[in-house]
Amino acid sequence: MATLSRMLPFSADVFFRLFEQYNAAIWPAQVAAYGLGLLLVALALKQRPGGSRIVAGGLAVFWLWTGIVYHMAFFAKINFMAWAFGALFSCQGLLFLWSGAFRGRLRFRFTRTLHGWVGLAFAVFAMAGYPLAGWLAGHGWPRTPVFGVAPCPTTIFTLGMLLLAEPRAPIGPMLIPALWSLVGGAAALLLAIPEDLALPFAAATGLVLALAKNRRAALAATPGSGGPRQA
Amino acid sequence: MRRFTDHPSRRAFLASMGAAGVAVGLGPAHAAAEDVLKKPIPASGERLPVIGMGSWITFNVGDDMELRAARCEVLQAFFDRGGAVIDSSPMYGSSEEVIGHCLKRIANKQALFAATKVWTPFKALGIRQMKASEKLWGVKRFDLMQIHNLLDWEAHMETLVEWKAKGRIRYIGVTTSHGERHEEMAKVMATQPIDFVQLTYNLLDREAESRLLPLAAERRLAVIANRPFRRGELFALFARKPLPEWAREFDCANWAQFFLKFIVSHPAVTCAIPATTRVDHMHENMGAAQGRLPDPDTRKRMVRYVEGL
Repeated sequence: MATLSRMLPFSADVFFRLFEQYNAAIWPAQVAAYGLGLLLVALALKQRPGGSRIVAGGLAVFWLWTGIVYHMAFFAKINFMAWAFGALFSCQGLLFLWSGAFRGRLRFRFTRTLHGWVGLAFAVFAMAGYPLAGWLAGHGWPRTPVFGVAPCPTTIFTLGMLLLAEPRAPIGPMLIPALWSLVGGAAALLLAIPEDLALPFAAATGLVLALAKNRRAALAATPGSGGPRQA
Repeated sequence: MRRFTDHPSRRAFLASMGAAGVAVGLGPAHAAAEDVLKKPIPASGERLPVIGMGSWITFNVGDDMELRAARCEVLQAFFDRGGAVIDSSPMYGSSEEVIGHCLKRIANKQALFAATKVWTPFKALGIRQMKASEKLWGVKRFDLMQIHNLLDWEAHMETLVEWKAKGRIRYIGVTTSHGERHEEMAKVMATQPIDFVQLTYNLLDREAESRLLPLAAERRLAVIANRPFRRGELFALFARKPLPEWAREFDCANWAQFFLKFIVSHPAVTCAIPATTRVDHMHENMGAAQGRLPDPDTRKRMVRYVEGL
C-alpha cells in the first residue's frame, strides 16, 4: 500500500475532475456503452445463435476503448503508469476478440446457480449500483466513472460475465481484471472512493466461484464420480 | 520513537549558522520578501531562500484550466513572498507542464531556481527526458538537475557532469525519499562530483541526522529536505493540538512554520520544499522563511513536544 501511495501522483479531486473532462469529451459514448451492456446481458440470459461471440466482441470493445481512449489518451495526462495500464487493458480486449469473438472459445449462458446469480449481480451492480454508490459518495455524474468506458465498473461487469461462461469459467481472461481489481482497490483506499472497494471483493468472489465451478465441472466429467454416464 | 541525535551546543549552533551565512532577522512573521532567510549553496556561495516549493501531486492537474489558474496563483504567492527553488520531476505526471504554463503567466519570477530530476533508466533516455523537461518548463537551462531516487545514476552522472561543464545545467544533485537507500546515497555523496542532495527530513523522520546530514556538511553539499509535512500526515497528527506558547520565541505562528523551522534550522539543511495547492497555505509556509529560527536546545524541545502529544 505504501508503495502504491508513492506511485499515485494525483489527488482524488484531480482524478474526478479528469473524469468530468473525459465524460464531456466522449459523450454520448456512455449511452452506447449502456446499450451494448444491456444487449450483452440479454444475450447471456437468452441464447441466440452467435450470441456468445457478440458478448465476447462487446467485452473486447469495452476493454479496448478503456485501454486506448481512457488510459492512454486521458489518464496518461496525470499518471505515468497509464500507458502500462492501457497496454494491459488492450491485451485483455484483444484476448476477448481473438478467443471469444473470432474463435468462439467463450460461451456465455446464465444458469440458475450460485455463480450464475452472482455473475448477474456483478453485471447489474456495475451498470446501476456502481454509479449510485458514486453519487451517494459525492461524485455522481459527470464526475463518475461510467460502465463500459471506465476501468473499474467495466472490470466488475467483466468478472460477472465471465462467471456466466459455460461449461467452465475461463480463468485466463479473469487474470487481468483481477490484477486491475488489486490496483483499483488499493487506489480506492488511498483516494477514498468507496464504490471501487467493490473491485477486490468482485475479483476474490469471482475467482473463488470460478475455481469451485470448474472443480465441479471436472468432477462431473470424471467417470465413476457421479457425473454423466457414458453410453 | 527515534531520538534526536544531533547535539551541537547553542554556541556551536550559532557559529555554524553564522558560518552558513544564514540571515536571521528579528522581523515579524509576515515581513517583506526581501527579508527572507537564505542559506548558501556550499559549492558556490549562491544564496537560496530556506523555503522552496515541491510539486508532487499538487501541480499535477492535467489540462484542467481552472485548476491550472489556481496553481498560477499559488506560484505567484510563492514568488511574491520571496521564494525561488521549485522542485519537480518527470514522475509527477503533468506537474512540469503545469509549472511551465504558470511561469509564462506570472510576474516577479526572476528569482526562479529551477530544479527537476531525471527519472528513467539508460543514458540516452535520460538525455531525451531532460530536454523534454526544458521544453515543459520553458527554461533554457535548469539550475539544478537531480538523479531521481538514484535510478541508473552511474549512466546519468556522465551526462550531468558533461552538461555542467558546458553550462547547460548549473548544479548536479541526487535524490532519495522516504528514508530509503541511504547506504547508496552515502556512497554517491562520498565519491561523486555533486553539489546537492535531496532527502526526507522532518520532525518525525530524522534518520538523516545520524549520517547523511553530517556527511553533506563534511562534503560541502547543499541539502534539500523533501516530505517536510510527511505528505500532510504531520498536520493530521498534530494540527488539532495546541501550538506551544514558546513557539513565539522563534517567530512561529502556526504548525506549518513549526514543522518547517525545525527542518531549516538544522545547520546542514539548505532548504525545505513543502507543496501546497492553496495560496493561504503558501503564505504560511513562506512565513517560515522569516524571523528567527530555533536554536539546538529549542529543536530538542520541539522533538520532545511532538513526541509527547
